[in-house]
Amino acid sequence: MAKPARLAAQGLAVALVVGLLALLVWRVANDNGKGVAQALEDGAHPTAPAFDLPRLDGRGRIDLASLRGKKPIVLDFWASWCVPCIHESKRLEVARKEYGDRVAFIGVDTKDFSSDARQWQKKHGITYPSVHDGSGSVLTKWGGLPIPRIFFVARSGKVVGELIVEEDLPRYLQQIAAS
Amino acid sequence: MKRLFPFVLLALLLAPAARASERHPSLAELEGEVMCPVCETTLDQSSSPAAQQIKRVITNRIAAGDTKTQIKDRLVAEYGDAILAAPPHKGFGLLAWWLPVVGILIAAVVVGIGARRWARAREPTPVGPPLDPALEQRLDDELRRFEG
Repeated sequence: MAKPARLAAQGLAVALVVGLLALLVWRVANDNGKGVAQALEDGAHPTAPAFDLPRLDGRGRIDLASLRGKKPIVLDFWASWCVPCIHESKRLEVARKEYGDRVAFIGVDTKDFSSDARQWQKKHGITYPSVHDGSGSVLTKWGGLPIPRIFFVARSGKVVGELIVEEDLPRYLQQIAAS
Repeated sequence: MKRLFPFVLLALLLAPAARASERHPSLAELEGEVMCPVCETTLDQSSSPAAQQIKRVITNRIAAGDTKTQIKDRLVAEYGDAILAAPPHKGFGLLAWWLPVVGILIAAVVVGIGARRWARAREPTPVGPPLDPALEQRLDDELRRFEG
């Protein structure tokens, strides 16, 4: 092979390897691991990852970042195929009536069919607004499957905790309502 | 041209089947082309509630007369591109389709160059100048006497 051609081939091979390495570094750098859930488990209180998703009821969108500094938030990740989600969402519905406007309750319907999700809300009497996260990309940032996953966000935008046991709900609600 | 004939014939034979599959898809074939969003496998390998939900939607859409493309478009609108087992033929997905082809072509060129070099290296190297005819005759005589 002629020298210029050999040099070009070697340059191409090096560029290819460097490109693949850069891709790997980018992937590792953007890998949130288990996201917010893992951070909470490690004792941290991260700022709630922002999202801007369409509402299931078709009434515009919900931008989570726009609520920062204004209201504490309860974030409920659910899907219509998730049987345990029924129980948890119903508990949140009761809590929403108790707390009224002091806390924003937001559902995130994830990896789900939106028409099924709307029927599910109607069937189980869930009235707090939900957004549609069909691809599950928002859920991934918060910790991924399994669902239900329920997070409590203080007025400042910091995530204070995740519901693990039943008693967490009144405890965290009081905490964020006072924030 | 004659060499291309079997491929053209095969393409002509397969075209009606592909068209029929597009117009009247079956649940079985779509189950192999659509992912279960919670189990990282295709639908045909999953019986999770999420997979059952999508199978039900596909069955309903087939009954409603949707084409395969319409059903897939509907699923992509709900779940994003990752719901399809094969990457889309656009944007970043093109890389997944063409990178293997480019890789195979580069490998073929490298193997071709290597084979040509190897074949050249195996060609017999020319020996020195021919023997003197008298010397060659004497060598033949000696060999004949030795064998005889």
